[in-house]
Amino acid sequence: MSTDEIVVEHLTKQYKRLRAVDDLSFSVRTGRVTGFLGPNGAGKTTTLRMLLGLVTPTSGQATFGGTKYVDLHDPLKHVGAVLEASSAHRGRTGRNHLRMICRAAGLPDSRADEVLTIVGLTPAANRKFKGYSLGMRQRLGIAAALLGDPRVLILDEPANGLDPEGIRWMRDLLKALASEGRTVLVSSHLLGEMQLLADDVVIVAAGKLIRQGPVDEVLGTMGTGAHVRVRTPQAAELKAALSELNATATEQSDGSLMVVGAEAAAIGHAAFTASVELHELATERGDLEQVFLQLTAGKAGIR
Amino acid sequence: MSLGLVNAELFKVRTTSIWWILGIVLVPLYAASVLANWATFATTDPATTEGASDVQAEQVQAALEPVNVATTMYTSGQYFGILIVVLLAAIIVTSEFFHLTATTTFLTTPRRESVILAKFGAAIVVGLIVWLLTTVINLIVVPPIMSNLDVPTQLGSADVWRAIGLNALAFVLWAILGVGVGVLIRSQIAATLVLAISYVVGSAALQLVFFLLSQWVAEWINKLQVLVPTTASQLMISGTDLPGNPPRWVGAAVLIGYAAITGIIGTLITKRRDIS
Ligand SMILES: Nc1ncnc2c1ncn2[C@@H]1O[C@H](COP(=O)(O)OP(=O)(O)OP(=O)(O)O)[C@@H](O)[C@H]1O
Ligand SMILES: [Mg+2]
Repeated sequence: MSTDEIVVEHLTKQYKRLRAVDDLSFSVRTGRVTGFLGPNGAGKTTTLRMLLGLVTPTSGQATFGGTKYVDLHDPLKHVGAVLEASSAHRGRTGRNHLRMICRAAGLPDSRADEVLTIVGLTPAANRKFKGYSLGMRQRLGIAAALLGDPRVLILDEPANGLDPEGIRWMRDLLKALASEGRTVLVSSHLLGEMQLLADDVVIVAAGKLIRQGPVDEVLGTMGTGAHVRVRTPQAAELKAALSELNATATEQSDGSLMVVGAEAAAIGHAAFTASVELHELATERGDLEQVFLQLTAGKAGIR
Repeated sequence: MSLGLVNAELFKVRTTSIWWILGIVLVPLYAASVLANWATFATTDPATTEGASDVQAEQVQAALEPVNVATTMYTSGQYFGILIVVLLAAIIVTSEFFHLTATTTFLTTPRRESVILAKFGAAIVVGLIVWLLTTVINLIVVPPIMSNLDVPTQLGSADVWRAIGLNALAFVLWAILGVGVGVLIRSQIAATLVLAISYVVGSAALQLVFFLLSQWVAEWINKLQVLVPTTASQLMISGTDLPGNPPRWVGAAVLIGYAAITGIIGTLITKRRDIS
């Protein structure tokens, strides 16, 4: 087992009347981005807070390479986190917010300026936090998580408040961090974004695990794996040609054909030999949003 | 206690405006205290104690002895200085919850008792700084006042220096008490209000309660007055043992007791509480 793998075992959190997290077990692999998905109130934030020793589990445990967060020697050098309902003092500048963490963590003050550069906040470094926009606040949180150059990153809804460019920036950042061999766990509601970002997903609803695995696998088991979209004026001829490939083509409401069971190259070749004219030929990944809604059907809703 | 963490806590205080706001508030309050002490000693006439009980008369006589005038004058500013320190000490804790920085703090230092210990350390440092400033200014402005009152400056008297030292102890103990209350009452507004009101009004109200109880229930209850924290710290720094009062060490013991109780309970609660 890698020393950076996150392992969650039978984690349970019982609030007075509500079981926010219910016997949840999953693991997060290194070198990959794992999306942590679930409807509102599914228990994502609670799980992440238990992972980080902020909330005490009713039972079960969560470990980083076998060690609980509170037992890590230099926690910030091991794990960086951005959490919901966490903030900075309104009257403190962004740079001082980071320096304050450096001092408590035994990091040099210069790290504050380095991470400010990484997240692009240097121009606002000496401004007070109360003057930051939502996106700037989110970037400051990410900067704080990067201070210790951690092997593991945990982010709760990090895309909140980021503009399209900011979201793209974060996607590239997290992918780059994962490709360096780090472990990245991100919770989010933005399923389209997750489909672009995540290698693996962990889906929870009502505190329970619904599905975990690589994105493609999860999509595949739900029958919405990769398919090819084809547009042609000679639909009947193409269907006939495709049936010889054991591929099935179904007509879509927009007039295109959705082909399952053959690669784009094979379809193109079949069309070419059958002299069928093609206007569009595109491979499409399954739709995470659809799968998510199917999987969590009936389990969503505020508890 | 990790010095790095104490340093980080002091950095937090330094990088927001609260310290200089409270500092500015303290300046006129301190000046008023010095002038009020001066005025008291300048106008109190030992001959006007007729009609008072024997013990009260003795107390007034004792308080007017040069050494007791000196200890009071050289510890001027204690009342408001401690009020400011106790509020700042509580805010060192409550601002973490008020400004939602507790998550960051406990992520950085998951051993929560270390954080609370560092906050005690930082509050003590703040208390000692305020004590040092008021004491240095007292040492400058009080000697001329003493000669105006026709009493010797007495800077060579051990009693005076002991009072100044005990004054430092009072600042330290109240700083600890403030952190403890801040941990117990997490709401910034509630904690500062409770501290300010019980410090300013509470001790007077409690003295009244004790007075009534001693009148109607039993005389000995009056001796329990020393359990009121403000009375305890007053007693602790008085120059010599005043007649009719418990010895000074009782005042110190009472304050240490309060500081220890709030500190220990507060730390235990913080260790158990969910941060969300
Ligand atoms: N301190 C608490 N006391 C009582 N109930 C709580 C507490 N914290 C969370 N809950 C409840 O636990 C459930 C899970 O909350 P949690 O914040 O973990 O959900 P989430 O998956 O992060 O939701 P969202 O997507 O909306 O952020 C919710 O029903 C919430 O009301
Ligand atoms: Mg959440």
